[in-house]
Amino acid sequence: MTQGAVEQSFRFGNTELPPDAREAARRAKRLAWLTIAFLVTAVTSVYLVMGSSQAMKAAWAEDLLSFIPPIAFLVALRVTGRVPSEQHPYGYHRSVGIGHLVAATALLTMGAFLVFDSVSGLLSGEHPPVGTVVVLGHPMWAGWLMVAVLAYTCVPAVLLGRAKMPLAEQLHDRVLHADADMNKADWMTGVGGIVGVLGIGVGLWWADSAAALFISASILHDGVKNLRSAVAALMDSRATTVDGSRPHPLGGAIDETLRALDWVSDAASRVRDQGHVFHVEAFVVGRDGMPTQAQLQKAWDAVTGLDWKVEDLVVVPVDELPEELLPGVRGGG
Amino acid sequence: MASNVAMTTGTRPTRPARWTAAAVAAVALAGCGVTVPTDPDGTLTAVRGGELRVGVSPHEPWTVVGPDGVPAGLEIDLVEGFAQTLDADVVWSTGGEEELVDDLERGELDLVVGGFSASSPWTSKAAVTVAYTTVTDADGKPEGHVMLTPMGENAFLVELERFLLDQEVSAP
Repeated sequence: MTQGAVEQSFRFGNTELPPDAREAARRAKRLAWLTIAFLVTAVTSVYLVMGSSQAMKAAWAEDLLSFIPPIAFLVALRVTGRVPSEQHPYGYHRSVGIGHLVAATALLTMGAFLVFDSVSGLLSGEHPPVGTVVVLGHPMWAGWLMVAVLAYTCVPAVLLGRAKMPLAEQLHDRVLHADADMNKADWMTGVGGIVGVLGIGVGLWWADSAAALFISASILHDGVKNLRSAVAALMDSRATTVDGSRPHPLGGAIDETLRALDWVSDAASRVRDQGHVFHVEAFVVGRDGMPTQAQLQKAWDAVTGLDWKVEDLVVVPVDELPEELLPGVRGGG
Repeated sequence: MASNVAMTTGTRPTRPARWTAAAVAAVALAGCGVTVPTDPDGTLTAVRGGELRVGVSPHEPWTVVGPDGVPAGLEIDLVEGFAQTLDADVVWSTGGEEELVDDLERGELDLVVGGFSASSPWTSKAAVTVAYTTVTDADGKPEGHVMLTPMGENAFLVELERFLLDQEVSAP
């Protein structure tokens, strides 16, 4: 393997990243650390002013859970950098999927717990006490301080989320995508908390628990959504775009590239998402029987040239496309 | 799908805008007439110019209940002073802590005193005030002394806390 040749390079196993993706990985890493730094300040300040507000507790839990995705991303980035070995011939790309699954499970568990907590608060009619704090010698209602802290936590999260989203797409990193998605939605937590605290202020005791319920439901929703896509990826479902919304366009592009070769009469492939990179098995039917070694090599070069994500490619010459390995090949074109 | 596109390009308020509007409305509501904080059960309004129903649990030297049933002590003086600022008459009842806290939860008392510390186990059933004085406990750790008010009656709580913070109290 060509190791240690260039400057500290970002790689996903055997895959050397092209310069623009390398730059994206570097920026994503920096943003992940920035997120962690911001979360430390957010968690500390919310904890200090939290008092007995249920909504503040839920917002604090969400901030605390937000540590998991950036940490999982940084760990996965390190682990996937390892070159495949005899013990791990497929490389370490699956660490992304594992990180994603762990983050999703944490979100789901915490969301469910907080939903239960705020519903029981509502049902038992808990009246949250919010008293006075002394700030620089002046006594003031603690609710104002809570509103200020929640407003602070809204802004940087959204900015970080927006900055991370395009990088997640470029690097095809689902953990980073989940992280960016959560950050982008974080303002709802902040505003929900503010509404809850102001509700306490105007004497609506239930506003706090209701806001907490809203926040915890959004945590639960994040958990369910991420668990689905994490499990789907680990189950080797068809490779999708990073947000899981549609089949990845590379799948079609691979088939088209192969079919465009003059010696190929038909081709189809199955593509699974290893995390960052794809694992492709392409089946090709030659016009005149068995293709030559040079023809196969050219086919391999053409497909791997499509995108850095498809380097782990197997081209299999066959007499006819194996339907049992390519479900749907008969129906589709 | 089509309605999504319309939302981003049309003039309908986006989700953030609507939320902001709601928050602004809440603040505006707070600005005109409604004081922040407000009591859900109106304790402060009821006490002002009326009765302040106080439970006393004997805990010398903070609260002392004499043989004739008349309470005395540092916290009694503080409560009398607070009642004066509200133009209220104090109605005392004495009893054990648990009984008094139950009455507080049921809304039959407005305030309970009894030499409670900030680490009191009653914090899940009653709202504790800020510490009006701090003493050193048996382990040499600083310990704030507090009073108990009904859960969530925040206007009353803040009124009492502002009064307590204004007092120069030295521990007995």
